[in-house]
Amino acid sequence: MQKCFYLEGLASTFTGVPRQEEWVADLSSQDQVKVKHHQVDLRSGLKTAPWSWTSEVVLETPYEQKCYREAASLEPLSTSSSGPHLNQCPGKSCDPLALEEELMSASQLEEEEENGEGGEELDPDLAPEVEEEEGGEQEENDLGDPAVLSAVHNTQKGLLGSPGFKAPAVLGMSPASLQFLWQVSHSSLHPHALDIALAMKHPNHLTQLHPQHQRILKQQQQQEQLGRPPSPSATKPWSQQPDPYANLMTRKEKDWVVKVQMVQLQSENPCLDDYYYQEYYQKLEKKQADEEIHGRRNRVESLKLVTPYIQKAEAYESVVRIEGSLGQVAVSTCFSPRRAIDAVPHGTQEQETGAASSQRLQVLDWIEKMFLQLLEIEEGQKDGPLQPCDSEQHSNQVEKLFQALKTHKQNTQEEAADGFLQVLSVRKGKALVARLLPFLPQDQAVSLLLTITHHLPLLVRRDVADQALQMLFKPLGKCISHLTFHELLQGLQGLILLPPGSSERPVTVVLQNQFGISLLYALLSHGEQLISLDSSLEEHNRDRTAWTDMVILTAWEIAQMPTASLAEPLAFPSNLLPLFCHHVDKQLVQQLEARRE
Amino acid sequence: MNYMPGTASLIEDIDKKHLVLLRDGRTLIGFLRSIDQFANLVLHQTVERIHVGKKYGDIPRGIFVVRGENVVLLGEIDLEKESDTPLQQVSIEEILEEQRVEQQTRLEAEKLKVQALKDRGLSIPRADTLDEY
Repeated sequence: MQKCFYLEGLASTFTGVPRQEEWVADLSSQDQVKVKHHQVDLRSGLKTAPWSWTSEVVLETPYEQKCYREAASLEPLSTSSSGPHLNQCPGKSCDPLALEEELMSASQLEEEEENGEGGEELDPDLAPEVEEEEGGEQEENDLGDPAVLSAVHNTQKGLLGSPGFKAPAVLGMSPASLQFLWQVSHSSLHPHALDIALAMKHPNHLTQLHPQHQRILKQQQQQEQLGRPPSPSATKPWSQQPDPYANLMTRKEKDWVVKVQMVQLQSENPCLDDYYYQEYYQKLEKKQADEEIHGRRNRVESLKLVTPYIQKAEAYESVVRIEGSLGQVAVSTCFSPRRAIDAVPHGTQEQETGAASSQRLQVLDWIEKMFLQLLEIEEGQKDGPLQPCDSEQHSNQVEKLFQALKTHKQNTQEEAADGFLQVLSVRKGKALVARLLPFLPQDQAVSLLLTITHHLPLLVRRDVADQALQMLFKPLGKCISHLTFHELLQGLQGLILLPPGSSERPVTVVLQNQFGISLLYALLSHGEQLISLDSSLEEHNRDRTAWTDMVILTAWEIAQMPTASLAEPLAFPSNLLPLFCHHVDKQLVQQLEARRE
Repeated sequence: MNYMPGTASLIEDIDKKHLVLLRDGRTLIGFLRSIDQFANLVLHQTVERIHVGKKYGDIPRGIFVVRGENVVLLGEIDLEKESDTPLQQVSIEEILEEQRVEQQTRLEAEKLKVQALKDRGLSIPRADTLDEY
């Protein structure tokens, strides 16, 4: 049925003779329908075989007329491409649906012929016209059209794809008529540019081009004038002719979707909810401001996502109870689209003491709480140099955190250290301490350092899996440089001296761990620095002798350790070797040097 | 017009040619005509492309409405670069045949594997279509 409209259209434009209406009931019977005078007309117009079906096409709207005009432009030989003969309309009228179809088919065939692809091409004017003229109803129709059209298109494709047109029976087309179609499309090989150029010269509501299309064509024409062939991209059919199906989704609909998405994004605290984007945007703005300062006048304003601020309605009840009913109704909301059951825990927090796993969980929970405090501190500092009013609050926060770190539900002083060590056993705890250390006042930092140093073997043992102690090295290194000699000695003594009831020095374990050895070297280096700077210390001071003993012992331990198990330090201070040289004999120094390689 | 800066939105992809990969493994190529808040897609002039080795075949399908949750990924196709592909297009029958052959070889290999494992007393639970569990 559709096919016959198309051919009818072609026929009428080629010959300009009006038709009498004749509806074909079904395609299979087309061959039987012959209208003599049509055949005659065709023969006069074109020397081709007759084909056998007709139907009346009525053009009622200017849009339809324009369609026909464009169709006429396909065939340069057409004698009458103007309107008058098309306006006759005895009998039934053809709806725009069929019209589009035939034009689609016409352009499709031509397109396929030319390019071998299936790009659906309609004349450029159609798309915007459709939008303007018809209202919402047409949009519905449009949706119908493409479906039908693509069905047509696909069958056509299938048809033309198969060599020899094996399936004319499908559409009831006789091979002869198909041949005619091919010839028609063959004969109109020139692009639409000429006719379109004409259209451009006489722009009216019927020949108005899509502005983008106009631009492209102008460009092409200019290029051709310059003698250059149009660039390959411009000759691609797609870029030349705008998509007839464009804007099926109207601006209003797009806005609606965007609105729905925005509503889901709203938040009262975007700096928290959307932290990363806000940070990124601030950085971007700063960069642009810098660029502007440096002379680039025209800075590109980058847009920011601004979520709508909608007054939050009173907290909705996501579970609705209807009086007198059993059970609940599942209400679907933004945050619970598919609420299957009311799975909110109502029980109180149970306190489990003694179970090892729960204790670990407690530690983890505690770390999380402290981390939140740390983040607040960092946030407060990030905003810029501290104002005097803020700094007090800042130091209060830091103090609070430090106290929290030190004492955690522990009653005695010993256990306080234990809690701290538990924190340090968790990777996140290490990160917490590492990030907190820069904020702490010196004495508190030193106390932490000493605790760490004192319990270093234990920490090292626990860290075997994670290897995360490294992150502590840098902040601790800074802290070490503030140590006094006495404190340093205290720390080292814990490591070097034999603990009661054991034959192994703690330092052996420490030397096998990267963090441990680095910390040890840093401590030794600092000690050496202190001594070389402060010559007021007496030679035979108890501290000095203790120091000397420790250095010797450490050197001995290092020499004892097989090279393979000696860990690679993160930083090797430059004054270590001279230090060892001072206190130990040459042989040992040589061994140490060998170790260092 | 930039509707939503700083977000990934499908609004700018409308009316462009896309390649859509579905959860069941199908590859669809079509023009994205309409979307909604669930990323349900309306694809126009869709073609289902079957890839086997270096060959591919296109089955024209028309209009697709795809439920958003079934999409694995989608990406815009550059119409100019679309034709420079090292792949060879073949007819639909051929590609379906190739696909069937490939499926068969895969099933046989799988069977052998399962048998070998069984001989050694191991069993790998079969991954069902619902692979969430």
